[in-house]
Amino acid sequence: MNTSENPQDIHEQIVTLLPRLRRFARNLARNPHDADDVVQIAVERALARSDQWRSDARLDSWMFKIVRNAWIDEVRSRARRGKIFLAEEAGENIGTDSMERESELLSVQSAMARLPEDQREAVTLVLVEGLPYKEAAEVLDVPIGTLTSRLARGRAALQALLGAEGEAT
Amino acid sequence: MTISDETLMAYADGELDAAQKAAVETAMREDPQIEKRLAQHRALRQRVHAAYSAELSEPVPERLLTAARGAARTQGSKVVSLEEARAAMKRNVSHARPARPQWRTAGTIAASVVVGVSLGFIMWGRTESPLMRSAGGALVARGQLARALSDQLAAEQTRTSAVQIGLSFLAKSGDYCRTFALSGAVSPSGLACRHGKDWEVQALTQGTDRAGRDPDYRTAASAMSAPVLKLVEGQIAGEPLDQAGERTARQRDWKSAGR
Repeated sequence: MNTSENPQDIHEQIVTLLPRLRRFARNLARNPHDADDVVQIAVERALARSDQWRSDARLDSWMFKIVRNAWIDEVRSRARRGKIFLAEEAGENIGTDSMERESELLSVQSAMARLPEDQREAVTLVLVEGLPYKEAAEVLDVPIGTLTSRLARGRAALQALLGAEGEAT
Repeated sequence: MTISDETLMAYADGELDAAQKAAVETAMREDPQIEKRLAQHRALRQRVHAAYSAELSEPVPERLLTAARGAARTQGSKVVSLEEARAAMKRNVSHARPARPQWRTAGTIAASVVVGVSLGFIMWGRTESPLMRSAGGALVARGQLARALSDQLAAEQTRTSAVQIGLSFLAKSGDYCRTFALSGAVSPSGLACRHGKDWEVQALTQGTDRAGRDPDYRTAASAMSAPVLKLVEGQIAGEPLDQAGERTARQRDWKSAGR
C-alpha cells in the first residue's frame, strides 16, 4: 500500500521489468505475439490494482503472477470460443548448420518447449528468472514441495533432452 | 551418506541453509560422485539461464512502454525531464522505422505547413487553425495551441488534453520555449518559443509513430520527436524548468528576467 506515496515509482519499476515480463510470457505462451498481448493486459491490470501490491513484496513475483493469470484467462477464453491455436516451436526453421552458439541456445529453448507446462513454469521462474523457491511457489499458487518436485522433474527432462554436452559449457 | 537429487538441486539454486549446505559439502568430500552431480545441476542452471539472457536486450514494443507509463500522467505531478525524453528517444530509435518523420525548421516550415499542419488539424479540431503566419513571416501559434502554451502546466495536464506540453525551458536566446504535441491521428509535435506576445513555432514534426496510434497513452516525452529533442538540446540554457519554474514563468507571462 505504498504506491500512493510515490505513484511514479511503480510505473518506472514496471517499465524496468518489461523485458523480463515479456520473456516470462513467451515461455508460457510460446508465441511472441500472444506473449506481448498478455504482458500488456497484465501491466494494465497491475496498474489498476497497484494498491494491492505490498511494498515488502517483490514486484517481479507479483507481476509474474498477474502475467500468468492473464495468460490462463486468455487460454480459457480461447477454449470457450473454440479456437485452437498452436504454439510456435522455437527453432523449428533453423538449419542445423547455423552457428554453434545459436544452435546451442535454440536447443535449450526447444527442449524447454517440450516440457509439460507445469514443469516449464517452474524451470522458467527459478532457472531463467532466478526467483527463490518460495517466490516461485507463490507465483504458481502451489506449496513449495510441489514447486520443487516440478522443478526436479523439469530439470531431469531437460538434462535428458539436452544430453551430456550441456556439461561442456 | 546419500544426498537426494532435490537437495543437490536446492544446493545449486542457493536454497539450502547453512547446516544443510555443510551436510552436502561433507558428503561431497566423501563421494566425488556427488560433486559431479552437483556440477551437472549447476551447468544446467547456467545453460538455461544463458539461453534466455539475450531476450532481455530486445527492444520493448512501444505499446508496452506506454501501457506501463500510461496512467502516470493522469496522476499528474511530473514534469518531463530531458533524460526521460532521451531515453524515450533511444527506445524509439531502436524500433527501426521505414519512414523518417517529416520535419522542417522555421526557414522551410512554410512548405510543409500546408500538408503537415492541415492534416494534423483535420484530426485535431477542424474549427480553428492553430498556426498562422505573422506579418514578420514567422509562424506563430494561435487558438488552442497558443492558449495551452501560455497557460498549461505539464504537471496539470491530463492525457486527454488536446495539447500536451512536454519540456519547458529557458533558451540561450533568453526566450522561454516549450515543446508540445497535439492529439489526433497525425499528432504533430514541435517546439515553440515565446517572442514578444507570440509563441513562434520553431519546428514542427509530423506524426511521431506511436503517438498517432494511441493518443490516450501518449506522454509528452514519448511524443517528442528526435529532431525536436535535438533542437531543444541545442537551444537550452541549463536544465528544463521544473514544476515550480514553469509556474513562475507562467506568472510572468513567459517574459524572462532579462527582457
